[in-house]
Amino acid sequence: MNDYLIPVLLIVLAPVIGGLVYGFERIVKARMQRRIGPPLLQPFYDFLKLADKRQMMVHSTHAFLGIMHFVSLWFALAVLLLGGDLILVIFLHLLSTALLILAGYSTRSIFSHLGANRMAISVLAYEPVLIIIAVSIFMINGSFDTALVFAGNEPLLYKMPLAFIALLLVLPIKLKKSPFDVAEAHQEITGGVELEFSGLFFEAVYTAKWLDYIFCYTLVFLFAGSNILLGLGLMAFTFLYLNALDNSSARVNYKQMLRFSLGVAFTLAFINLIINSLL
Amino acid sequence: MNFYLTGLYFLPLIVGGILLIAPAKISRPLVILSSLILSVLALLVFFSVSEPVYFSVPHYVSQLVAGADVLMLMYFLWVALQRKSLLVGILSVVQLAGLLYILKNLSGGETLQFMVDRLSTFMFLLINIISGIIAVFTLRYIDEEECSAFRKKFFMALLFWFIGAMNLVVSADNLEYFFLFFELTTLASFLFIGFRKDAVSVQNAITALWMNQLGGIAILAAIFFIMYNGYGEITFTNLLAHTGADGLLLPLALLSIAALIKGAQLPFSKWLLGAMVAPTPVSALLHSSTMVKIAPFIILRLSPAIKDTPVAMVIVGLTGFVFIASAISALSQDNFKRILAHSTIALLALMIMMGAIGTPVTIVAALVLVLFHGISKCMLFLNAGILERVFHLKQSSDMDRLSESGPFTALVMTIGFMSLLLPPFGAFIGKWLSIETLGALATEKKLLGALVLVAVAGGGAVLSLLYFKVMGLLINRTGEKDQLRFENTGPYYSATIYILLGLVLITVAGLPLLLTYYFAPVAAAVHGSPVPVLNEGWNLFIGTMRIPLLPMLIAFFLLPVTILLAMFIRFRHADRAKEYMCGEKINYSFSSFYFSTDRAIPYFSAAGILFFIALIAVALI
Repeated sequence: MNDYLIPVLLIVLAPVIGGLVYGFERIVKARMQRRIGPPLLQPFYDFLKLADKRQMMVHSTHAFLGIMHFVSLWFALAVLLLGGDLILVIFLHLLSTALLILAGYSTRSIFSHLGANRMAISVLAYEPVLIIIAVSIFMINGSFDTALVFAGNEPLLYKMPLAFIALLLVLPIKLKKSPFDVAEAHQEITGGVELEFSGLFFEAVYTAKWLDYIFCYTLVFLFAGSNILLGLGLMAFTFLYLNALDNSSARVNYKQMLRFSLGVAFTLAFINLIINSLL
Repeated sequence: MNFYLTGLYFLPLIVGGILLIAPAKISRPLVILSSLILSVLALLVFFSVSEPVYFSVPHYVSQLVAGADVLMLMYFLWVALQRKSLLVGILSVVQLAGLLYILKNLSGGETLQFMVDRLSTFMFLLINIISGIIAVFTLRYIDEEECSAFRKKFFMALLFWFIGAMNLVVSADNLEYFFLFFELTTLASFLFIGFRKDAVSVQNAITALWMNQLGGIAILAAIFFIMYNGYGEITFTNLLAHTGADGLLLPLALLSIAALIKGAQLPFSKWLLGAMVAPTPVSALLHSSTMVKIAPFIILRLSPAIKDTPVAMVIVGLTGFVFIASAISALSQDNFKRILAHSTIALLALMIMMGAIGTPVTIVAALVLVLFHGISKCMLFLNAGILERVFHLKQSSDMDRLSESGPFTALVMTIGFMSLLLPPFGAFIGKWLSIETLGALATEKKLLGALVLVAVAGGGAVLSLLYFKVMGLLINRTGEKDQLRFENTGPYYSATIYILLGLVLITVAGLPLLLTYYFAPVAAAVHGSPVPVLNEGWNLFIGTMRIPLLPMLIAFFLLPVTILLAMFIRFRHADRAKEYMCGEKINYSFSSFYFSTDRAIPYFSAAGILFFIALIAVALI
């Protein structure tokens, strides 16, 4: 029973925790720029404000797909935290992203389309790395179950350091942080897929981003196995790294992004996989 | 029982003959009726055959077969002369010489030329039911084709002869017979691909011919080496009985090469891609129920003999590579049929790989993929035909208004893509079984296993993206057209689509039952030992593999149901907003992104050739 307590709590509270992470992130980012930044609970104030807005939508298909993106992402996160099959998790996560891409394609809005296209390319950029990490974990544990990873005594970090670096390199793509935030690119395509959502419907897409934080940091945590201190350390490091990077870099275009992630991150993870499978 | 089988072999031949001369009025009821009869016969045979049935034919039939072989090769030679194709000519001469040599040295003993086992009956079901549906669809399609009345009749006749040849291929035990039927399907596809008679069609038909002729030569070479090594009868049964014997690897490798060529694996994918120029029912036929499905059939037939051999390992490596390479090539395609073709090649690679690994679970996976891919691809290709004929669309980027002009077709195509991709559809189950069992391979052959795992998982991700890209075009609409009115495409088109839709939905709903009573017995017959399938609580066990059904069920409601619901759902209490256009008033046309993979294609082909050389090399060593 106790084994399930923490995962279930995490799953239920995931949007709240994700919101807090986002709020904290905004403060940290602001402090890096010598600003004070918004209060910690600002994301939740925004959330409440959005709920009060007049409900507008382009059409129901679009709005509904946005909501289901949130729901299916939550489900993927639940499978991950409950120790499910990592390949299944990655696949479910891919599909939940695909629902949002589909939402982007379903309207006749140029920015929405541009965003959806770029998002699909982003998926292409980070997905191979995630898959190689899953296969590497399989080569080490003999199973795709994340439950085994969480219980593992020796942290994965020591066996697949290159894969961890690769993960760090693709996380900005996943979380739409500079320099790899082409999918969102507010100044350029006004938010991409998000653009046509508003009010309650935007709420779903907005909070889905918070879930994505939890998803990504759980992936980072995987590298520490049962060593919770190390896990927290890795997460804190990743947090600082992501925000510092976001603050200090300019956006690259999607071709550069794809070239970098497939050329550098993928290669790193791949070398690690070969080492893992030869040992 | 023999009576049903006889029907499966002779009915298509006779019906084809009648169709060639009968007036159009008779041909319609005849086609519908005989498609029905063939389906029923296939079902009856499936239920009546549990143990392999062997039967021989009288001696004069053997001479007839030999005569037909020679005649066919003569025809190929004639084609070579007429089209001035040196390659086809040389290959035909080589084939002819090889065949004559084999015929001369063949021991005159009485052999059993035919064997029908569960794998054959499994193929019968796929071949006859799906091709029957395609035949009914073709009735209208070919009517709208611009060609002479006789060519139309010829097309229908050829279709039935093709079905007959396929039924024979999957029941031949004698390799010489197998060679004839194998080359008959080559001949049929050559005629089909060149049907439109324009320059491109003729060129592609020639390509298909010489590539498949190489497969025929591989079979002849296999026969030669079996005779040379003195293993006696040139039958599949005899081949499998000698599993593990010295020098047997080479004929097995050669037969696998024949399979890989039929299955359009790199570098031989060009013939299947070129087949797109033919009328669309041809593509449906080649991709779903006939022709390419010979590839997994041969590999499954041989799997007890080739599993765990170096040959199987090379095949696994090759198919893993083909899977990801063709998934990537598919991303660069705009032509709807070409997108489908690339994904066929990818999925075929997976089927062949699963057959080559040859554990009980992988055989189930291969069979699941063969069947579900057949149904889904047939549905998608027939829809491509409808798009072409009714909506005049060929490029996927032009389809962005389809959900307004043809919502039903858009809906069916969406379901088709989902059935190739999402849980709990069979194709997903097949892919998942593949990934999980590749793990078992990876614990033994570490590097190969890891690389193939990456290829399959990565290729799967790329294919998902591709399908979603096309689906995105299918649900694209403005907010102003909220009314859904299904279009009417006419009785022949809509009836066949409804039947296929029904098949897709029934097979999904009955998947646990199908696994237990349909796939498991066939897999047991292929593997030679029982394949236990258990349904316990919320888990389905195949051998030692566990499929959790609960996540599958939830995923079903989250993904396919969501996408379907999204097309129909209407929120009443939300106001409408126009799309944000920066204040511009321009009508945009929407397209999608492509990757140019042209530069990579030569490398892909080169890698494929290397794999084929490796295949021969490991068999020789």
